[in-house]
Amino acid sequence: MLIYSLKRIGLALLTLWIIITLTFVLMHSIPGNPFAQEGTMPDAIYENLQRYYNLDKPLLVQYGLYLQSLLQLDFGPSLKSSSISVNEYIKNGFPISLHLGTQALFIAITFGLIFGVVASLYRNRWPDYLSMILAIIGISVPNFILATFLINYFAVEWKLFPVATWKSWSHTILPSIALAMMPMAYIARLMRSSMLEVMNQDYILTAKSKGLANSTIIIKHAIRNAILPVVTVLGILIANLVTGSFIIENIFGIPGMGEMFVKSIFNRDYPVILGSTIFYSAILIFLILIVDLAYTWIDPRIKISEGKK
Amino acid sequence: MMNKEPKLTKEMFEPIQQQFHEAEKISRPSLSYWKDAWLRLKENKLAMLGLMIIIVLAILAIIGPYLNGYTFYEQDFTKKNLRPNAEHWFGTDSSGRDLFTRAWYGARISLFIGLMAALIDFTVGVIYGGISGARGGKIDNFMMRVAEILYAIPYLLVVILIMVVLEKIQRGIWPIIIAMTITGWIPMARLVRGQVLQLKEYEFVQAARAMGASTTWALKKHMIPNTMGPILVNVTLTVPTAIFTEATLSFLGLGIPAPQASWGTMANDALGSILIGNFYQLFIPAFLISLTMFAFNVFGDGLRDALDPRLRK
Amino acid sequence: MKPLLQIKDLHVSFMSYGGEVQAVRGVSFDVNKGETVAIVGESGCGKSVTAKAIMKLLPTPQAQIKSGEILLNEENLVTKKEKQMQKIRGNDIGMIFQDPMTSLNPTSKIGSQIAEGLMKHHKIGRKAALDTAISMLDLVGIPLPEKRIHQYPHEFSGGMRQRAMIAIALACRPKLLIADEPTTALDVTIQAQIIKLMKELQQKMETSIILITHDLGIVAEMCDRVIVMYAGQVAETGTLQEIFSNPSHPYTKGLIKSIPRLDMNPKEKLSPIIGTPPDLLDPPKGCSFFPRCEYAMRVCKDHAPGIESISGTQRSACWLHHTMNELATKS
Repeated sequence: MLIYSLKRIGLALLTLWIIITLTFVLMHSIPGNPFAQEGTMPDAIYENLQRYYNLDKPLLVQYGLYLQSLLQLDFGPSLKSSSISVNEYIKNGFPISLHLGTQALFIAITFGLIFGVVASLYRNRWPDYLSMILAIIGISVPNFILATFLINYFAVEWKLFPVATWKSWSHTILPSIALAMMPMAYIARLMRSSMLEVMNQDYILTAKSKGLANSTIIIKHAIRNAILPVVTVLGILIANLVTGSFIIENIFGIPGMGEMFVKSIFNRDYPVILGSTIFYSAILIFLILIVDLAYTWIDPRIKISEGKK
Repeated sequence: MMNKEPKLTKEMFEPIQQQFHEAEKISRPSLSYWKDAWLRLKENKLAMLGLMIIIVLAILAIIGPYLNGYTFYEQDFTKKNLRPNAEHWFGTDSSGRDLFTRAWYGARISLFIGLMAALIDFTVGVIYGGISGARGGKIDNFMMRVAEILYAIPYLLVVILIMVVLEKIQRGIWPIIIAMTITGWIPMARLVRGQVLQLKEYEFVQAARAMGASTTWALKKHMIPNTMGPILVNVTLTVPTAIFTEATLSFLGLGIPAPQASWGTMANDALGSILIGNFYQLFIPAFLISLTMFAFNVFGDGLRDALDPRLRK
Repeated sequence: MKPLLQIKDLHVSFMSYGGEVQAVRGVSFDVNKGETVAIVGESGCGKSVTAKAIMKLLPTPQAQIKSGEILLNEENLVTKKEKQMQKIRGNDIGMIFQDPMTSLNPTSKIGSQIAEGLMKHHKIGRKAALDTAISMLDLVGIPLPEKRIHQYPHEFSGGMRQRAMIAIALACRPKLLIADEPTTALDVTIQAQIIKLMKELQQKMETSIILITHDLGIVAEMCDRVIVMYAGQVAETGTLQEIFSNPSHPYTKGLIKSIPRLDMNPKEKLSPIIGTPPDLLDPPKGCSFFPRCEYAMRVCKDHAPGIESISGTQRSACWLHHTMNELATKS
């Protein structure tokens, strides 16, 4: 168990390092040197860039010093503003994005599981058809499109929710729903097919032969096994949530990290794009690692066989 | 409950000559794998609906832009922001361009990108995965490690990064396709490799090789027909992901440059107008994107169920 | 003394894609207290369906008990509702299944799987139930049971898992144990151990056992009486001695003859029964065995035989034993 965990952590760190290197190379290979001082660039900004990126030194040294800065958790300055750095953006935006993401994840998991289990128990009857049609729509309608629909009808026309920004709790509802739809639909479909497969297994027949109540069989024997595949995809879904948040924050005017990232793309603020990419990658790799390790911990077959090695 | 005894006579108890070979007759005819799958697919109404939609969209993509007199790039500021009417069937956008023509022109671009990305993913994936699986051992290990690391990079971030770099060199359809396929081939490679590894172990391949067949022949005659199922499904389901990614890129301003249009850029353009009540401008591309993704998803699902050997009837 | 279990003219059908498959077509037999009854027959003869029907564990809605009675201590199980059956399953009747590798919940500890039935039927708390679980594991011959109750199924070997299944099935001391091919998936040496275990437990707990198998060797080891099934019907019943030394139904004769014997001449050919069982989507009107029977008579083709008594305990569903035939052959 320990060896497996260490291997996974090692792989994660290796991946992160490769991403950093690739991103660094990419940024420096953009034609027309993005870091050069162009005519309209204020001196203050250029100084920031100089200081952080050591642009006068040879490329390899730049790279080494860049790695050093990253290790000290300094993600660099901005091309467009002399006073704000990537770290500032992270400090201000990350808590908000975290709130949005966690809320959306909670909605997705809770309702996804419920719909999936209900659909599997009422197979080929109306709860199943309804849930599955909703789920198909959920994975077919891109979340930003759904977001615009939600805003147009729920906020603008019917005035049930506020349109944008992040001021009160009711401001968080529409964005969370928009963000949660796709993962929720995915979980529902996966849980349904997983439950159907589990309910056909021999050990369910054994459980029935003991005279256990249906609810016991469903919860203790079926769901406990059916949920394992869902946990394995949790990592990917979280990654989708994070990347999905970019546009959702943009549309709803939420001052999170995603919005900053999108703005930097619009502005071609290369240093910020660079720093944000690395930060996001680190977060995602870390989250996926946790989910992977948690899975090996939950599934008794892996937990114990790894332990015996 | 006793059956009423029939009238019994002594003659009925005389022995009968039996023809035993008849009893070995197979009672019901069996279907080949592909025929069985096709029958099951046809029964799946939802999947057939998806297929229908795809065909209709393809046809409209080809002939749509010629159906009314307008082109996709003509601007006419006297006619901007018109609701759908008899002349402009989908209305016009904020520059007075005909939305019907733009919608089907955009269909060409979005569908082309989606299909091309799926095709490239398929080709690279099959080659990479096939080689990795067929060779096995250290080569397989190494190739899969590389793929694993590349795959760990969040997909959308890769696409955005590559687009940001490429756009200085060239804008257009191909940078987008390249950005999407740089890591998009990995799931397919994994799938193919898994199938190849499985098949290498199968008895009928070993039997064929025992009879003297070479690995290439075994590959062609046995491995490929048997792995086609999951691969086909994967290709079908890659298309909606590609269309989604292209739309996302457009929303970020990294899409096709004007005056060309894809559904994604049309939606992006329309964003500014919705708050003044021109929702139809957003609705049309949004609906088309969703409809296409829905159709491919549903057809891919049906394909997956039809090709699943465990569900054979 | 009244039998523990009485099956009367049971009919079970499956509604399938192609139509109605009549899997069980008028099966009747009894099981007495403390005895072991074997149900033998080839795959598809309906023995497993009969067993599941007793517990009402058939998959609904495809499977339906169309008619007949299943009397457990004179209560008809066919008319009982699901909630009532849940009180009976595990409590009055226990069941063990063929494949120990897939019949246990992989994410639940063994002790817990034994205890849940106890907690439900005997209304005892978790601690008491786990204590009983330990003694059950001991009873089925698993060493270090106090440790084992905290382990998961994949930490047990195949034979041990089957023992655990027996422990689960017998935990609430049911009067009847149904064993559906319990040794088919096991190695021969483990098979012998499991059979020995079942015999010991039966003596200790005075349980009746219905043993479903296609392996006549195991039948000879363990059973008091044998029921031979073919194509959804009972072909012959009798004591162990009667069936093995005086098989009367042509199918039974064929089965006994087909067993390879140690004292056979090695050059002697094996004698299988030629042909395959009939399609139960469209069952034959006459005797089901007619196409494969070397003793067939005219009457067999279109008329289904009734049940003829050969002795007090042996019965055969065959026209050969009908009084008319005895008269005819005598003349």
